[in-house]
Amino acid sequence: MSLVRRVLDSSALYRLIALAIFGTVWQLATLSHKSMLIPTFTDTMAAIPKLLIPGYSGDESAKLWDALYQSNGALLIGFAISVALGVPFGLLIGRFRTIERFANLYISILLVTPMAAVIPLLVMSLGVRDGAMPTRVILIVLFAIVMLVVNSRAGIRQIDPSLIEMARCFGAGELSIWRRILLPGSLPAIMTGVRLGLGRAITGMVIIELLFIAVGLGNLIQRYDAQLDGPRLYALIIIVVFEALLLIQFVRWVERRVTPWRKTPSFGR
Amino acid sequence: MIEIKGVSKAFPGRKGSEPVQALKDVDLIVRDNEFLTVLGPSGCGKTTLLRVIAGLVPHDTGEVLVDGKPVTGPGPERAMVFQSFALMPWDNVLTNVAFGLEMQGVDKKTRELKALELIEMVGLGGFEKRLPGELSGGMQQRVGLARALAVSPKVLLMDEPFGALDEQTRRLLQEELLRIWEATRTTVVFITHSMEEAVLLGDRVVLMRPRPGRIDQILDIPMARPRSTHLDSVESSGEFTAMVGLLWSNLRAMHSDVRRARQAGQAAATKP
Ligand SMILES: Nc1ncnc2c1ncn2[C@@H]1O[C@H](COP(=O)(O)OP(=O)(O)O)[C@@H](O)[C@H]1O
Ligand SMILES: [Mg+2]
Repeated sequence: MSLVRRVLDSSALYRLIALAIFGTVWQLATLSHKSMLIPTFTDTMAAIPKLLIPGYSGDESAKLWDALYQSNGALLIGFAISVALGVPFGLLIGRFRTIERFANLYISILLVTPMAAVIPLLVMSLGVRDGAMPTRVILIVLFAIVMLVVNSRAGIRQIDPSLIEMARCFGAGELSIWRRILLPGSLPAIMTGVRLGLGRAITGMVIIELLFIAVGLGNLIQRYDAQLDGPRLYALIIIVVFEALLLIQFVRWVERRVTPWRKTPSFGR
Repeated sequence: MIEIKGVSKAFPGRKGSEPVQALKDVDLIVRDNEFLTVLGPSGCGKTTLLRVIAGLVPHDTGEVLVDGKPVTGPGPERAMVFQSFALMPWDNVLTNVAFGLEMQGVDKKTRELKALELIEMVGLGGFEKRLPGELSGGMQQRVGLARALAVSPKVLLMDEPFGALDEQTRRLLQEELLRIWEATRTTVVFITHSMEEAVLLGDRVVLMRPRPGRIDQILDIPMARPRSTHLDSVESSGEFTAMVGLLWSNLRAMHSDVRRARQAGQAAATKP
């Protein structure tokens, strides 16, 4: 394949073009309609290194890294708990109908409740002292866990029953069936759950910090907003989106590594 | 030897409807080293019969004995080949074939050696590192066959194993199976809904009829062995045609019986 051909075929090129178009439209629009809060594309881009690179512009970047550390700490712990609890629970209710009957009500509640409506209640009862790490962790779990439960359950459900019958036929007990059939068989769906759950956890993290407990990235966003510092505000949001994309890409990479027998990635749930 | 004595099995019907009598008073003896084919219209209990022998579903009445011992669950002396192949998509051919031995606790080295031997035997040499998704249907069923043979079973239970394959592939696998069987003489219970397949492969054909599932009759297939070397001439022989014809006339009679019974039932239901 020629170099030109390879460049034309790579999706990176198209992503770059899409970004360039977006940047140009943004730049032209903001230049023709001057506004205090919508910075130009170039100003925003110039603010990104100021926020990211230590010592580039005073203690600006120290604030950002501190906020990233605070927010991601809660995200990481909350998401780890979601996986550790949600996956086994989803797998169990997928295999044993009786347990599921008890759990169904709670799952439905978690699925349909608009979280933003119940956060104030939880924040009130859980407390907001000292950055409220435990409160934020619990809230992130509430945001994320349902995706892990529902997808793990679906993973068990879609396993071909003849595989389980085959395993029993060759002498497998319940433990072997779990190890050799149910776990590998539901792994692709579990990974989908991890990806969707991570998305929800990040959303949850930002909402909580922005609206209820002013710490970390949410606090920083509020501060730039109050200072009418458009370039920094936009730069910060771009950094948050970029981090989320990086995390999701990482999960996709793990997904491909652990389920190599699957040729086509699945979409949604 | 497998002895099936007075075995009945009913499944609870869907809500409201009465139970389905999948098997009723089935008596059957499967002799050692014979190739027994089971034929019948769909829903006549063929799969249920095989699953009862495999010990995958409990039967309601009667007994099933393998070499005199009652069947209470699956056992290593009975191995099954599935219509849907039932291969683990995440494991390569070698691991799939070795699965039965793995479940028996055979160490990795020994079981892989044995598996390689069988992969060779079913004509898949060189494919041991492939994943099932990379193989054609025919090759996948060869893996299924190798997996069953790997545990050195006394009885091979096969439920329409070639039912999901295209005509040419099925023919090749029939030939392959006969060749392997002629070499090993493992007892086979082979379910099919093809009359030609039942006659081509079997020493005897068990003809089943539905509602309730039971044995209609058992026919001896007198054609000489080995057959794998000249399947085409077996199929064009007068004996073959006569046996298939006989089976067909029985199956057709069965269908018109069923229709007559249904009409009688409807007539009774519409009577005031
Ligand atoms: N697990 C099951 N639950 C309920 N009914 C079943 C079950 N398995 C089989 N049956 C019923 O028993 C009858 C015989 O089924 P089966 O043995 O699969 O027939 P065949 O293999 O000859 O087509 C059918 O009417 C089928 O609907
Ligand atoms: Mg069947």
